[in-house]
Amino acid sequence: MMKRRLTSLTADSVEINVSPLIDMVFILLIFFIVATSFVNEIGLTPKHRDTADPSRKLEPPLTFQLTAEGRILNGDNEIGLAGVTPVVRAASAKKAKPVILLVEKGSKAGLATRVMDQAMLAGAKTVKLSAIKSAINR
Amino acid sequence: MKLRRRLLKEKETESINVSPLIDVVFILLIFFIVSASFVKVPGEKVVRPRTVTSESLQKNAILFALTAGNSLHYAGEKIAIDQVRSLVEGLRREVDAPVIIQVDQDADASRLAEVAREGKKAGATVSIATRKP
Repeated sequence: MMKRRLTSLTADSVEINVSPLIDMVFILLIFFIVATSFVNEIGLTPKHRDTADPSRKLEPPLTFQLTAEGRILNGDNEIGLAGVTPVVRAASAKKAKPVILLVEKGSKAGLATRVMDQAMLAGAKTVKLSAIKSAINR
Repeated sequence: MKLRRRLLKEKETESINVSPLIDVVFILLIFFIVSASFVKVPGEKVVRPRTVTSESLQKNAILFALTAGNSLHYAGEKIAIDQVRSLVEGLRREVDAPVIIQVDQDADASRLAEVAREGKKAGATVSIATRKP
């Protein structure tokens, strides 16, 4: 009887002190606010498969060259940035062909990215970026 | 007299109700925990090339920046190209993260090709960060 009265008394009068909880939550909140970095990038993902696998029969790739002067070559022909899409579209009409972009030292990355963009726009799934010393066909 | 006594009584018993404050703080806390992605940013300003076919990339990625001056940066530090492979391999041992290269449009394309090749060698998917046209 005595014990019962005591428990009922404590339940009535004692409240949990929430201030330390609030302090901790504030500290956690500040930590997460400071540590969060909102990185939201958009971009191209030019996938290419491993060409070292001998069991897989690969399509002959479509090769473009980008010279240091900013010229885009397909074989011997000079094509502009606008010429990439028709060439890729014509070549990969039946089956998507892999595209290789050979970039010369000194050529602009912006232009290389835009060539890759144009190739992917035309339906190329795999684009490989490869560095060369100098353009083969001058 | 009666009114005054009532006011006094109210003042004594009333305290600010903090429960809504705690609720809001909890909601903010949960928001920041959920949205937190501890990505190390390169901290270099680059002018990304404009492209048409760009798609949204994964948030939890290993970010490199290739500046117009052809220097490569990771997490605020300048690094060499031959460090890329070991760095990516080390990071990918913990979590399967792709590589994103933030490239300046005036950077050297052959350097970009080298960084991309090193990332591929480490087994990662390599993307190039762009911006909307």
